[in-house]
Amino acid sequence: MNVMASQPSKTDSVVGAQGLGKTFGGGAVVALEDASFDIRPGSFVSLVGPSGCGKSTLLRLIAGLIERTSGNLQVHGKEVTDPRTDVGMMFQKATLLDWRTAVENVLLPTEVSRAVTKEDQKNAAELLRMVGLKDFLFAFPSQLSGGMQQRVALARLLQTGADVLLLDEPFGALDEFTRERLNVELMRIVKEVQATTLFVTHNIAEAIFLADQVFVMTPRPGRIAKIVDVPFDRPRPLSIQTSPEFNTLVAEVRDILGEDH
Amino acid sequence: MSDVSSPKAPGTADHLMFRILPHLVLFAVLLLIWEMAVRTGIITSIIIPAPSKIIGAIWELYVTKGTIYRHFFITFTEAVVGFAIGAGVAVTLAVCSALWDPFKRYVSPYAIVLNVTPGIALTPIIIAWFGYGMGSKIALAAVISFFPIFVNTLTGLIQRDEDREELFRSIGATDAQIFRKLRVPAALPLLFAGLKIGLTTALIGAVVAEFAQATDGVGVLMSRFSFQLNMAASLATLLSMTVIGLILFYSMEFLDDRIVFWRRESRGAAASRAKARAWKSRMGQ
Ligand SMILES: Nc1ncnc2c1ncn2[C@@H]1O[C@H](COP(=O)(O)OP(=O)(O)OP(=O)(O)O)[C@@H](O)[C@H]1O
Ligand SMILES: [Mg+2]
Repeated sequence: MNVMASQPSKTDSVVGAQGLGKTFGGGAVVALEDASFDIRPGSFVSLVGPSGCGKSTLLRLIAGLIERTSGNLQVHGKEVTDPRTDVGMMFQKATLLDWRTAVENVLLPTEVSRAVTKEDQKNAAELLRMVGLKDFLFAFPSQLSGGMQQRVALARLLQTGADVLLLDEPFGALDEFTRERLNVELMRIVKEVQATTLFVTHNIAEAIFLADQVFVMTPRPGRIAKIVDVPFDRPRPLSIQTSPEFNTLVAEVRDILGEDH
Repeated sequence: MSDVSSPKAPGTADHLMFRILPHLVLFAVLLLIWEMAVRTGIITSIIIPAPSKIIGAIWELYVTKGTIYRHFFITFTEAVVGFAIGAGVAVTLAVCSALWDPFKRYVSPYAIVLNVTPGIALTPIIIAWFGYGMGSKIALAAVISFFPIFVNTLTGLIQRDEDREELFRSIGATDAQIFRKLRVPAALPLLFAGLKIGLTTALIGAVVAEFAQATDGVGVLMSRFSFQLNMAASLATLLSMTVIGLILFYSMEFLDDRIVFWRRESRGAAASRAKARAWKSRMGQ
């Protein structure tokens, strides 16, 4: 993966990294090493790999939540130094505030940056409608199922107005059926808002099904072993998962990850 | 809860009667045995008066003479004012400690010393400082209600929720915003637990200080009756302390219920409706 050879023009890249690395404990733990990539506007990237290969670390670097220890990283051509409004993150846990209604939770990002207007409120209600919760605007988190809570978290992510969305195993704690349905909806929604998306998962088929590009990552040290392009148009039907081309890709990724996947 | 349509659903008058009745019967039987025991001389009436005597004393204190009310009001005021002062100081210090580490380092040793010193033991000193009037009762109530409130509030404020803090940081929140919008609300359940303990403690402080030295208040009234070996009146006075305790506890319970509503399953629906109404009136105009 030679950076110089494959560097595209800056305008082509929403998120760009060159030799990006992160160590913890004064270099004792190499969480991420020598990551280089350019992510095209509006594309969907899946990060797949076993536990500890640096997926969350890479996302938190892009979110500006932690500082890199080597290399460079830009979002929209600007070096990442702090959390920014054009990048939003969603976690495996819904992290809703129990004392706020769904719509108040969605409004939180707006609230921390400026005074909330009626327009913002309308927008928040509209986003909850978009994620299928139009009848639950005033429900408190304790009154919502796990899947519904993640829908609220997704609406909150969209409310930030960020066009780079980082999703760290957002539906990982949910059951198979709910997860599959939410994946399909996610694909539709990110298309609708024209966001660039980075999506972490443990599931190879899920990674390929959702993405334009799959970053296949391996641990100790955390590295991007290969970037696999997925040629199908998005959004795609669930049935694509049974096609031979799809399964060739699954086999390719599994091969890179080796025995333990 | 789900079966609202059934005639004996919880909360209906029918159901309540059904639950309370056994208690009433048991209580009546106990009183009857007690009364018999005193009348037949098994229990000396000087030590434990018959229920009928106590009821007589209650009738006199609360209805015919009404002596109790002035004292009731005084003790009630002492406990509430003392509690308010204790709580105010405790919450302020807890917030300062949570916000500023050096503050915590220099304040908590005193808080710990104060905690292991029995607050009640300060009674003579506090009376010497504040005199025989309400001042000393309020002061003792404040001192001994301080600690449980301080500790609970501080514990609530310094507990960290890493996941939610990371969310706040990812949306660019400042430390002050994290404190206000995350750490304070998250500390409220513990704050209220502390307030409930503190309120009960404040009443103990007020009454003990009255026992020690005072001219008014239910504590004084009670020791006076006891000195006269008027046990019936003494016990009738005790009842008013129970009533003060109940009033204080349930007012706090009421506030807890409304303010920390998300901890109460039963309050969620009502809170949702209120939020929906507020939203509609705001968006409708
Ligand atoms: N704050 C930290 N301090 C020390 N080590 C850390 C820290 N965060 C991550 N690491 C280490 O960095 C490595 C990569 O962690 P990371 O969380 O990025 O993995 P991951 O791919 O997200 O794993 P998972 O699939 O389990 O979420 C791990 O070995 C982890 O122990
Ligand atoms: Mg992770």
